[in-house]
Amino acid sequence: MRDAVGDRELIALDGLGIRLQGTYHLPADRQSGEPTEPANLDRVGVLFVNSLSMPRAASGDSAVRWAEAIANQGYPSFRIDLPGLGDSEGEASIDLLDIVNAGGFASVAAAAAGQLVKRFGLSGVVFFGHCAGAVSALYAGAASGDCKGLILLDPYFYVPLVERPRVRQRLSDWARSSRVGRRASNLYDRIRNFSSVLRGSALPANANGQLLARWKQVASTGLPILLLKAPGIKAQGSKPRLGEFDYIDHVVNLAGRKKSIAVEFVESADHSFANCEGREAVEQHIAGWLAANFPLPDFKFSTERIGRLGASENRDHSGKSQEAPADRFCAMGGR
Amino acid sequence: MENQFPDSRSQQRAGYFPVTGAHLYTVLHEVKDPVARVLLVGPFASERHNAYLPWVRWARYLAAENIEVLRYDYRGVGESTGVFEHMTFADWSEDVRLLYAWLADRAPHVPVLLHGVGVGAILAARAFDEGLGDGLLLWSPPANANQALRATLMRWVGLEQIFKFGRDQKSAADYIRELEQGSPLEVDGYSWSRDLWRDSMRFTLPAALAGEESAALAYKRPVRIVKLTSDAAPLAKGGRVGYDDLKDFTWLFAPNRDWIVAVASQSSRGVAYA
Repeated sequence: MRDAVGDRELIALDGLGIRLQGTYHLPADRQSGEPTEPANLDRVGVLFVNSLSMPRAASGDSAVRWAEAIANQGYPSFRIDLPGLGDSEGEASIDLLDIVNAGGFASVAAAAAGQLVKRFGLSGVVFFGHCAGAVSALYAGAASGDCKGLILLDPYFYVPLVERPRVRQRLSDWARSSRVGRRASNLYDRIRNFSSVLRGSALPANANGQLLARWKQVASTGLPILLLKAPGIKAQGSKPRLGEFDYIDHVVNLAGRKKSIAVEFVESADHSFANCEGREAVEQHIAGWLAANFPLPDFKFSTERIGRLGASENRDHSGKSQEAPADRFCAMGGR
Repeated sequence: MENQFPDSRSQQRAGYFPVTGAHLYTVLHEVKDPVARVLLVGPFASERHNAYLPWVRWARYLAAENIEVLRYDYRGVGESTGVFEHMTFADWSEDVRLLYAWLADRAPHVPVLLHGVGVGAILAARAFDEGLGDGLLLWSPPANANQALRATLMRWVGLEQIFKFGRDQKSAADYIRELEQGSPLEVDGYSWSRDLWRDSMRFTLPAALAGEESAALAYKRPVRIVKLTSDAAPLAKGGRVGYDDLKDFTWLFAPNRDWIVAVASQSSRGVAYA
């Protein structure tokens, strides 16, 4: 058995009270197939954290492909399993979602980032997370002195229900499968919209105040943040479903004048971003964002890479909503 | 976080195992003086992700009971290298044979069992049918791999329909028709080809493993076949998707561990099985 093959290497992080297992994707100009430690990479690394109970490969192995793509662009990338998840030590709690939403992984993820910075001579870390992982990434970014940026895929800023009431689930199924149901669903949306108009800009009762505070803390400093959004159920393009609070709009405003936030709507993706088109679109958005915010002057891009970056600049902001499948392991439960 | 299954007697070692054109990601739950060794042949493709936590817990549970365990990711899946679309059931069968040989070669020599779930049960069963393994433990073996793929497809279609209304909703039959006509189908991020779909129909459970009695007669080696119910989700179909992987599986693990220990004990004492 080997610890390293080609462009990837297995790593274990000790000294955090618990051993974390991870995979290191070597940057393209350092891919020798041999372990690189000790290294002085002197550039930012991208650190992926788990989305809820998903292992570090993520849905459809999308995190593996993104990490490889990022490494091919010259940025070392690391996918780690947080305590109790994937192959890391510990036992995940049945209250995992509550723990994530309360920032329970922030300190360990921040400490892991610190270790990676030291071990690989990084200039800092960009935290990467999807859905519940985006929540963990944001908390970790706020807790870490090494955080240089955030890549957040479909973050949510409210406290979702752990389990949807069965009656509500059946109503949703009915609304999707019948014409009358669809009309009833539209009527429901209008009523919700009316009440949201009455509420004005006030946050919904289930907003995650603690997370929003962390967001304000990091975003207001001008920390580069890439926020990618997939179409939601009955969403209107990048805007949420009628009657739903527009959290993205809210957090962008909350970030203040110094903000450096790029919000991209990935029309071709489903919520998991694991479908081929969605995965590739994410890859292109990340490539452009990393190159713009953390340029590597000494790194030689391949012709193919430049072509792909060019393509990503012609983004479609038509606002059309494409219906997309759910991610079964989603903290939002496909809602 | 509370550790339900203390793993103090074992050490977990992750590594890459070379196979033709790829490297398999393996995790060895190493035990100093094991009573047995077990090769775990896990859930297939996207099912791997759904069932990862209980599968790892099962490995740790066995290791804590002095049973050394090797688990791995299929070629082209998870942490293993290779391209999923390029892989065949022959490749995945070779993975089992190679890893079994590696595990059986470890010292000290103790009984080595094969254990699989879903498609992994067929892979383990076919290796056992070829003469590998001192015992075989199957969880929910389908009659052929296509049954397992269909179950995954049905669940994927159900979830996809959450986002679709009325006429936009496609049925599983629609997708299967497209697949059979040659259009690849992306299920949970994995591209299924027509060849994979067709091969899955021919990739069957050996006939003698349809039941424990016929298996005992045919192989003269211990076989246990457990049909998992939805209580065992996500290792089985059903249950509350996305949350069931965090629950306690001791009720499932304990009797299966007891069986493995009994097989190891019989095998070590040279007790004939019939």
